[in-house]
Amino acid sequence: MLLSLQAISKRRDDSATRMTLDDVTLQVGRGQVVGVFGRSGSGKTTLLQIAAGLAAPDSGAVSYDGQRLDRLSSTERLRLRRREIACVWGSRPPQRGLSVLDHVQLALLVDHRDRRDASRRAREALLACEAEHCERARLEEISDGERQRVEIARALTIEPKLLLADSPASNLSIVEQETIMRLLATLARDAKVAVLITAGDAQALIGADPVLYLSGGRIVDPHGTRQGGTLHRFPGRARLAAADG
Amino acid sequence: MSAKHALLGLLLDTPAYPYQLASRLEQRLGPSWEVNSGQLYQTVKTMERDGLIERVQGAGGGREDRHVFAITDDGAREFERWFQGSPDHVRLPRRPLLAKITFAGPERLAEALAKVDTYESECAARLAGVARLRDELTTDGPLVRAQELLLRLNLSTDVIQLEGELRWAAHARELLQWLAEGEAVWPSRHRQARSGERRHDRSGARKELFGRMARSAPSTAPAGDAQRGPDAPRGPKRVPGEDDASG
Repeated sequence: MLLSLQAISKRRDDSATRMTLDDVTLQVGRGQVVGVFGRSGSGKTTLLQIAAGLAAPDSGAVSYDGQRLDRLSSTERLRLRRREIACVWGSRPPQRGLSVLDHVQLALLVDHRDRRDASRRAREALLACEAEHCERARLEEISDGERQRVEIARALTIEPKLLLADSPASNLSIVEQETIMRLLATLARDAKVAVLITAGDAQALIGADPVLYLSGGRIVDPHGTRQGGTLHRFPGRARLAAADG
Repeated sequence: MSAKHALLGLLLDTPAYPYQLASRLEQRLGPSWEVNSGQLYQTVKTMERDGLIERVQGAGGGREDRHVFAITDDGAREFERWFQGSPDHVRLPRRPLLAKITFAGPERLAEALAKVDTYESECAARLAGVARLRDELTTDGPLVRAQELLLRLNLSTDVIQLEGELRWAAHARELLQWLAEGEAVWPSRHRQARSGERRHDRSGARKELFGRMARSAPSTAPAGDAQRGPDAPRGPKRVPGEDDASG
């Protein structure tokens, strides 16, 4: 498995007991698209941040390509994000005034790649993502669907091994969703990239397998009920239940 | 499910006249539990015959509507058996409208769209009604009553389902419009989907880029990788194009 999250837990910043992620285990292999859906606040973005090495879990292990991502130095993690782990953050507002082509090649330029090569790669990625027609447009001028494809193109310029995409198909028309999900499925199959993608609803996760449901920081087990039972997640109620018993 | 077990649930709280049962059913569970009096008396009669409930008070001969009914020990056991019984499986209903759309064919797309519109309007109206009921619930007093909260859950269940129906309708309309614009090939017609040079260029670019990425990825992870600890970080990997980096 290229990416492996083992019993990941993360507390909420503002609470000692409430969890953003609670004992989450999942794996993504090369050529696989794993989808995670859940409501806003269910922990999707935190999950991706941990997988990207942008946030550290309170407990549990994150392994990327056989090495413990959570134990690497920040420099090493940054290097991985520049070369191997690409992220698409759906909700970020576009940087106004920047052309699509400049935006897409930026990931290569900050990594000190050759400018001509960077723009060649950016154009190739835009074409592969069906967004070549907006190359000259400014980021704020293109549609939401185009924007997401542009973001994926940008992620692909580094030719990553792992792609993490935070709700790239949310709030899009079904046709746009399908275009994006088909692109990601082809990417996984043909480029042997491991793809971990989140969405607000399962409907957007066309072609992902498995599709996991994240609720209250936990992956809901499709083969049974929540581990430990729901009551025990509220300490007060757990005590009451114990007293009753 | 039949109303039988819900009625037993009501009678566990307190004995009641049949007409009280009808109104309480709706008060506790929401408008989807509306029953007509004919159905209700029939159910009460059967439950009495089966020994699940009994008359505890009242006059007026055999007429059920003149008597207060209470749950019997057998009734309480039946309620418990039902509560603990078979697991609550998800049921996905068959939808006539969906079947109509599926078999409408290209010539009936406009009609199918109109049906979706009608369905959507009805869902929106029902949603507005249920949402109003839910919002009328008062839970802001000093005491929050469990029954009010549970009714809220019942009403929210309808709201959530109707929201889902509205989402479905929007989804169906979008797909039907897409079909109407001629983007798809129908089995009976084999009309050629739109294609062009641009599509060809894109798939070519995809093939080139994705093929290169696949070639640079090892086919399987090297053995022993899982044991590699933090003390033995791997050296920088060669990234395609890295040699070209000149700043």
